[in-house]
Amino acid sequence: MPAGAGVEPERPNMPNFKYESKFRYDPNDPFGHMQEEFPDESEFDVVIIGAGPNGLIAGAYLAKAGLSVAICERRFEVGGGLATEENLFPCYASNPHVLYHMMVDYMPALRDFDLEQPSLTWIKPNAQTGMVFEDGSSLLLARQVQDTKDSISKFSYKDANSFGRAVRDWKRMVHDIIGPATYIPPLPPIEMTMAMQRTPLGERMMEIGEESPIDIITSTFEDERVRTLMLYASCMWGLDPRESGLGFMVPLMLDRTMNKCYCYGGSHKFAGALAREFVKHGGLILDAAAVESILIEDGRAAGVRIAHEGRTLRSKVVMSTLDPHTTFLDMVGADNLPAELRQDIEGWSWDKWSFNTLHVAANEPPRYAADDPWIDKCFATVLGIESVDQLLAHWDSVVDGRLDLDSFGGHSTCESLLDPTLSDRPGKYVSMFQIHAPYDLEGGWIDRHDEVMQAMLAKWRKAAPNMGPESIVASTMEDPGEIEIRFPQMRRGSIKHGEYTPLQMGSFRPTQDCSATDTPIEGLYTCGASTFPGGLVLGGPGYIGAGRVADDLGIDRWWKPTPEMERYIKDYLEE
Amino acid sequence: MAKDEEFDVIIIGGGPNGMTTAAYLAKSGLSVCVLEERTECGGACETVSPIAGARIYPHAMLMYASPAPGFDQLELHRYGFRMEWDPADLIEQSQGGLGCSDGWRDITPKDQEGWAKLGGMLGQPPFSKELMRATFWCPPHPADIEVSDENTPYMQVYRKYQPDIWTPELREMTMFDLLDEHCETEHFKTAMAFAAWASGAAGHWEGVAVPAALCVQLLTLPNMGRTSLPRGGLHGYFHAILRCAVHHGAQIRTQCPVDEILIDDGRAVGVRLRETAASGGLTMRAKKAVIAAVDVHQAFLDLVGPKHLDPGVIQKLKDISLKNGTLYVSTFHTKQPLRFNSKYEKGACNAKRVGPDRQPAAGIFPCDSRELYYENVADVDGRKGQPTISPEHAMWFHTPSQAFDPTDCQGSYPRGYISAAFEMNVTSPDLHKEGEDAPDLHKEATDRFMRDSFSQMLDGLDDDNVIHHWSATGREVEFRNTGLIGGTWCGSRHDEDQLWTNRPIPELARYRTPIEGLYHAHQTSGHPGGLCLMAIPYNLMHILIEDGVAEPGAWWYASPYYIPEEGKISAFMR
Ligand SMILES: Cc1cc2nc3c(=O)[nH]c(=O)nc-3n(C[C@H](O)[C@H](O)[C@H](O)COP(=O)(O)OP(=O)(O)OC[C@H]3O[C@@H](n4cnc5c(N)ncnc54)[C@H](O)[C@@H]3O)c2cc1C
Ligand SMILES: Cc1cc2nc3c(=O)[nH]c(=O)nc-3n(C[C@H](O)[C@H](O)[C@H](O)COP(=O)(O)OP(=O)(O)OC[C@H]3O[C@@H](n4cnc5c(N)ncnc54)[C@H](O)[C@@H]3O)c2cc1C
Repeated sequence: MPAGAGVEPERPNMPNFKYESKFRYDPNDPFGHMQEEFPDESEFDVVIIGAGPNGLIAGAYLAKAGLSVAICERRFEVGGGLATEENLFPCYASNPHVLYHMMVDYMPALRDFDLEQPSLTWIKPNAQTGMVFEDGSSLLLARQVQDTKDSISKFSYKDANSFGRAVRDWKRMVHDIIGPATYIPPLPPIEMTMAMQRTPLGERMMEIGEESPIDIITSTFEDERVRTLMLYASCMWGLDPRESGLGFMVPLMLDRTMNKCYCYGGSHKFAGALAREFVKHGGLILDAAAVESILIEDGRAAGVRIAHEGRTLRSKVVMSTLDPHTTFLDMVGADNLPAELRQDIEGWSWDKWSFNTLHVAANEPPRYAADDPWIDKCFATVLGIESVDQLLAHWDSVVDGRLDLDSFGGHSTCESLLDPTLSDRPGKYVSMFQIHAPYDLEGGWIDRHDEVMQAMLAKWRKAAPNMGPESIVASTMEDPGEIEIRFPQMRRGSIKHGEYTPLQMGSFRPTQDCSATDTPIEGLYTCGASTFPGGLVLGGPGYIGAGRVADDLGIDRWWKPTPEMERYIKDYLEE
Repeated sequence: MAKDEEFDVIIIGGGPNGMTTAAYLAKSGLSVCVLEERTECGGACETVSPIAGARIYPHAMLMYASPAPGFDQLELHRYGFRMEWDPADLIEQSQGGLGCSDGWRDITPKDQEGWAKLGGMLGQPPFSKELMRATFWCPPHPADIEVSDENTPYMQVYRKYQPDIWTPELREMTMFDLLDEHCETEHFKTAMAFAAWASGAAGHWEGVAVPAALCVQLLTLPNMGRTSLPRGGLHGYFHAILRCAVHHGAQIRTQCPVDEILIDDGRAVGVRLRETAASGGLTMRAKKAVIAAVDVHQAFLDLVGPKHLDPGVIQKLKDISLKNGTLYVSTFHTKQPLRFNSKYEKGACNAKRVGPDRQPAAGIFPCDSRELYYENVADVDGRKGQPTISPEHAMWFHTPSQAFDPTDCQGSYPRGYISAAFEMNVTSPDLHKEGEDAPDLHKEATDRFMRDSFSQMLDGLDDDNVIHHWSATGREVEFRNTGLIGGTWCGSRHDEDQLWTNRPIPELARYRTPIEGLYHAHQTSGHPGGLCLMAIPYNLMHILIEDGVAEPGAWWYASPYYIPEEGKISAFMR
């Protein structure tokens, strides 16, 4: 044989992981395989469960820190909620989960990593959220404050000015406090109060915190429609409008609603870039690998076992980004938990409502019957809701497991307006219309799927008359049950892995013991949406978890806090 | 304006061939950038989720690449590569017989023996791996070397290990001729010829008997007793390749379609992106090479452009035949699982039912005789329109791949049942006599025709039971993935005029182009053509080494059957 042939290739020394290669090709074994596979037993410093935004971010920081890290992902594709799928098959893709990226301005991961610049691009349109009413009037929340004020002034000068004033303060709260605090382990309530007392802004924020969203909105605005939009924008991610204690989330949600971004190419692009950053630094991704259990040895986490394929990944640290029930009760096992932890975890409550989303491909983008042409350009458009009472009634019925198909509303987005590449057929537009919806719908989703879909199409068409059968070429609807099918960690369709209530937020998320990502079980960390600061693509839990694991393993953090974080630490936390 | 970025090598197209090339070159220490038009890399190696939890494979499904040197050269196992299998699978399947219009017919021992022998399984020792590598993983010989019985790689292998297969006619035969010599039953031969039509060179094409038989063997023999499905589907396998490339420093830019290959003084020096690219219409520079891993028509007629090519070459490029069939893929979401109808229920052995729901895996149907096969071929490639053949006679295959993966919806979908994929060859849009949009206009009728055909064997495809029928016409496929010209599964026919030293045309056979510094590496353009084999990149590596572009490390080994080109650096290297 000529030179080179059959020579055993040299194995370059790579940092990823330790294993013993048992592979040998045996031509005489008809059952033998020709190619080597990922080993049955392997050893890492860190194993992360779930390749959603948090798992990927945690992995990227730790791999770059020189640790050997594996991420196990149940699906065939990484990203978790950062999904872009051809759900209008064939030819039209859409974002079934994350569409609005709220924290692009603050997320440290976007600054600490290069993430394939210049091809990962964020779009932050000025026309952010519109609201249309039956009589053709409309309201606009724009990125540029003055545009919002101009729009509000159609209904109330006073509200326009109140908005300007309130937003000045709210923006600072977000910029100086809430934004940076998203990426720093939470303080217990008393310490938090003391920290906030250091500045007047902090004190005002604590005051707001004691109020309920509806109180904040009604005391700030007088006009019914303005209130309706503000309440929708504040609570659309799951704040209880009547509950006090999380009022500081109102400034955050409103500010972020005016500053959300679209990821050009679809949200999955962000996931792809994070994943490649992770792999570049030696990280290993196992997809189509559902973790079945977390190995517990001598009371500490020692690795994971993969379902269906008998593979074990051993590690010093296991980080779970899943919901608390899956992590603790199913994977660690209720019997392995300290009694108090078990009790806390069993008391975890799921999101009170979920999303039901209609996706369509059409010949045109929706054109709303509205008095302001900017509405057609809005990133998001709220429709079907006329008043605060109607909104509250809608949300109440959803919490009760009902959908009043005569009186409901939601928000819609035409993704193709921002991104012509989602549709592979020229001249077509992909749009979605999303409503809050119960997981346990009265009558059942399977039986009522079509009925709800027709009602949504009718509702949408009423607001945007061109969204009819003559324009729509494909449509599909994903209900809360299907969210859970795609993502079992979003139990009962919980988009945030668990509800936002004062007892499940801050240093209580998921429990007081676990909110800084480490847990009472040595070697086990929890850093998904159910850990402080919570759900949505904040990138907080993963970032905080990476820091904690690096510290606990005695590894230098190669990253530094962002300038906003540094200022916050200096102003509020340092002795 | 920002300064142009510069890389050693720019690769256009992030399908399996582009990405494997990137992995090889990045591992060789070059700075590499892959530019992909879509937002996800993978080309036709992709997985789609049309409804939550249901995963379908619109194109590639089955693993043919087992013998690839890429597995050890790129060490894909270090990037998470795993196979998925049910050991009961193929053995039982081969005992399960083939579906014919009168019921199941057995595969005889003589069929099996002849087939195993052709695949090198009966040698001492078995030489399948070497045979496969010689056939697919070896660059075509240099133009000045006359191809002969003596120097054709697979001829050398047979002569060495199984001389009774070697005959001077072997290189001229059709696969049917070969099967007539070595196998017994008509239904077995028909089934294998049909499988070849859908896997590479077809059963009736002149001069490609061995490549045709072996591309089917790639699927069966090397994975004897195992399902040829990587965990996570072929996209999972692709991920391992991509991650190898990324780990070695390759930059991947998705949503960055290339609009033009920049040519300066006869040399490819970079590319210009389309204006809708995520980074805008930038230009990027390549110091050593530009590699077009996109379809051959687009690469030369659009990205290079006629002004850089002579009219003779342009005509030849235009004439590259796409008649390798568009595989029309159907996957069903049903209320009740599909079942064999009464005629086939009897005698459908255990292996014909897969997954927890025990849904059918019908295999190839109907395999009665080569007359049926020819009737299908004439309809698709001869008459070139909508099917005129009767649904009873239309041949199709039903691949069990997905049904084995327990992480998959096919393992458990809580809202009904997802079938394995059905595939049938139909006329490519480019050849359709009513024009390229015709397949879309007739889609409803085609879908119905498909269901009628599949219903010859299976129950459950009635309107009452079917919730979704996912399918894509060749035209839709073309929009979805610009790499699949004509929606064809491999883009250009693997016949003697377009294989080996003739692929895609003799002038381009060794992956070089008339433009210095420009190479091609797409299924439509390079030997051995379609399938996710990591073969084109491996073969191309020989050429890039010859040209001094790549200098891989000690992990590299060349094909033992490769013939270096005079005056170039030999890819044997050491
Ligand atoms: C319909 C919908 C719309 C939404 N819209 C937005 C939006 O516009 N903006 C926004 O910011 N947020 C949005 N969200 C919320 C957002 O998707 C989540 O809060 C976010 O994805 C949480 O990130 P994570 O990394 O913590 O977990 P996830 O994204 O939930 O990722 C967890 C990962 O773990 C994997 N996994 C599950 N089980 C296992 C197992 N056993 N083994 C291994 N892996 C496993 C999952 O497959 C998943 O990839 C939306 C959610 C839904 C459902
Ligand atoms: C129905 C069907 C079934 C199949 N079944 C199998 C199977 O079971 N097993 C198997 O191994 N193979 C199978 N194949 C074949 C296999 O999928 C292909 O051979 C393989 O994907 C070819 O890879 P490629 O990289 O050459 O091209 P492609 O996969 O076509 O990739 C080309 C890439 O280039 C991109 N691109 C195009 N133009 C541009 C541009 N201007 N700029 C930047 N990027 C661009 C495309 O978006 C695409 O990602 C099947 C194919 C089909 C259609």
